[in-house]
Amino acid sequence: MTEADRNGKLLYWAGVALGPVSWGLNLQGIYVLAHFSCETTRVSGTIVSVVLAIVALAGTAISARAMRRGAGAEWVDAQGGGPRSFMAWVGVGMGALFALVIANQLAASLLISPCLR
Amino acid sequence: MSTAAEERNLRDDVLNGFQLTRQLERVWRTPSGFLGALMSVDHKVVGRRYILTAFVFLLLGGILAALMRIQLAGPEKTFLSADKYNQIFTMHGSTMMFLFAVPVMEAFAVYLVPLMVGTRNIAFPRLNAFSYWMFLFGGAFLWLSFLLNVGPDVGWFSYVPLSNLQFSPSKRTDVWAQMITFTEVAALAVAVEIVVTVFKQRAPGMTLDRIPLFVWAMLVTAFLVMFAMPSVMVASTSLILDRLVNTRFYDSSSGGHPLLWQHLFWFFGHPEVYIIFIPGTGMVSAILATFARRPVVGYPIVILSLIATGLLSFGLWVHHMFVTGLPQLGAGLFTASSMLIAVPSGLQIFCWLATLWDGRPIYRTPLLFVIGFIVIFVLGGLSGVMVASVPIDTQVHDTYFVVAHFHYVLIGGAVFPLVGAVYYWFPKIAGRMLSERLGQWNFWLAFISFNVAFFPMHFLGLIGMPRRVYTYTADMDWAHLNLVSSVGSFLFALSFALLLVNVIYSLRRGELAGDNPWNASTLEWATSSPPPPQNFDRIPVVKHRDPLWADSEILPVAAGLSADRREVLVTSLAEAEPQIREASPEPSIWPLLTAIATAIFFIGSIFTPWAVLWGTPPIAVALIGWFWPTGSKEDES
Repeated sequence: MTEADRNGKLLYWAGVALGPVSWGLNLQGIYVLAHFSCETTRVSGTIVSVVLAIVALAGTAISARAMRRGAGAEWVDAQGGGPRSFMAWVGVGMGALFALVIANQLAASLLISPCLR
Repeated sequence: MSTAAEERNLRDDVLNGFQLTRQLERVWRTPSGFLGALMSVDHKVVGRRYILTAFVFLLLGGILAALMRIQLAGPEKTFLSADKYNQIFTMHGSTMMFLFAVPVMEAFAVYLVPLMVGTRNIAFPRLNAFSYWMFLFGGAFLWLSFLLNVGPDVGWFSYVPLSNLQFSPSKRTDVWAQMITFTEVAALAVAVEIVVTVFKQRAPGMTLDRIPLFVWAMLVTAFLVMFAMPSVMVASTSLILDRLVNTRFYDSSSGGHPLLWQHLFWFFGHPEVYIIFIPGTGMVSAILATFARRPVVGYPIVILSLIATGLLSFGLWVHHMFVTGLPQLGAGLFTASSMLIAVPSGLQIFCWLATLWDGRPIYRTPLLFVIGFIVIFVLGGLSGVMVASVPIDTQVHDTYFVVAHFHYVLIGGAVFPLVGAVYYWFPKIAGRMLSERLGQWNFWLAFISFNVAFFPMHFLGLIGMPRRVYTYTADMDWAHLNLVSSVGSFLFALSFALLLVNVIYSLRRGELAGDNPWNASTLEWATSSPPPPQNFDRIPVVKHRDPLWADSEILPVAAGLSADRREVLVTSLAEAEPQIREASPEPSIWPLLTAIATAIFFIGSIFTPWAVLWGTPPIAVALIGWFWPTGSKEDES
């Protein structure tokens, strides 16, 4: 397997990895920011959430693109046998789903004052 | 070539039919006799023991539930004392969560996953045997302690400071904490085995997108176990240290913090719910496809949902702590995650409904339990979204509303699919069918009585009845609903009695099952019922997601594994391409001896810290015995 093939394979997994990682960082990040300075957390938290939602969606886009380029060709419907396109499909869904969770958390952080104890 | 060398090189491609079967059975069988039974490393033997033991604990936990319902059936009853009631509700929760729900799901995986992925034994079979013994010793330790009036009495989550030495001076809490260590060691061992079996021992051609949905569910569950259980082991061990050698992990006057306990416990405790629920969804998918007579709609979506649910389950734990005074922003963030976990669960439910809609369903008992699951779990999910909201949770926290919610989720989400799974896989395990007539009675009695028992608890919670009270006065107006709930719970217990009768009757007189009585599509049905010690005479080659439907006449097989020693085929992770032949361990007494040494260490260490010192050498000796080269065929490369 060439280096390019190896890197190409990773692209199918991008959505599977980037979505959940972004969500985990968002959850912990906003908490940490509020601990240091609750007054400024609303702005900084919004920026963090927006950036991480974009990262999660980027995972979706990368997986979708990888699928369109190479993995789609191996798609053989209900028979299975196309693990790369399969993971790319899962990656597309994961990125979108976790971006939605981040957006929901962003809404929560906009509605609730970070200083409220 | 010498005769010995020829024998060592005997492969399954030079033998055929009965000759091959007999040779493989000779190599893979469990030795006969009592000692042989103690040495078994066959995943089917260990799996059956695990399932049986877990159901014994279900029976014991159910008896405790019945005792509680007798006590609560009317106001100011004196059937149980307050102290006994405390022990009983703690034992009920601990037994059901740690000794039944998680182990029984892992037990089904131990039995079924190797068959479903087309291999001859689970990865690390001796670890598997060790895991069972640890589980058995942990459960026996808890129950013997209870019978000696040293049963834990501080609730299944054993909150500090109630469980501190100051408020729980006897050994009751230590028993609970060490039972956790026993059962979590067992669960972690099985999780490792499942992950390795699924990743490296799949039949050739079983690519990632051809893995059966039940196996995917167990894979996700195994990862959850590996990341969640260490948290509660750290918690229980530090609690024992606080109690035994006066550390101060949970003492706020010395720099510790009681909330640390809740964080550690619930970081495990919430994924625990999904450790129980996700295998149930795998069972549902397996049963649904067979009885709807079509593959589950949206295979990638179901797997996306399984993985997403597993990951999200680690970001919800704070919703168990909404009334502890945490910052409101934190509560808001966890509310957001908690509500959004309904999305992947909902996706799965729509996939299952679409499968039923598009299929040609046959309403046999396993499918009835799946439909019961969908109804009850959706109801439990709705109340779950309610308690994910801070204002509602604040109102109903620690009331019977929460009791109703989690019984709907856990019994609906796990026990109904599990009973369906018993009806579905019993023919494979026992070789005989369960009675369909008794099964239908079993389902309707269970479905109706479950709702009679638990639905009124929502109202009891809303009108203020708190959890864990051992009695109440007549003027509280809780009597009627409690009586209805008690009657329902006894009828629910009766439904399990029907299941037991069905199993005992069918073991002797049930109709012979044959290899594939349901015309199912997955590989466990490609072998005889019950399966032979070697599982398959030749390893199947998978060319389709539903191999038995695609190759209904003759299943393609791979040949070349040794017929003279225990050997499994190792394949690549994504594509399941054959890589190497690997020796599989032979029966051994050392897993049992290691478990005995570990049990002595664990139990001793709740009485004296010196047990850590004198308890270690026996474990070391046992492990040396375990790994000592024996010169047998398994040691040959």
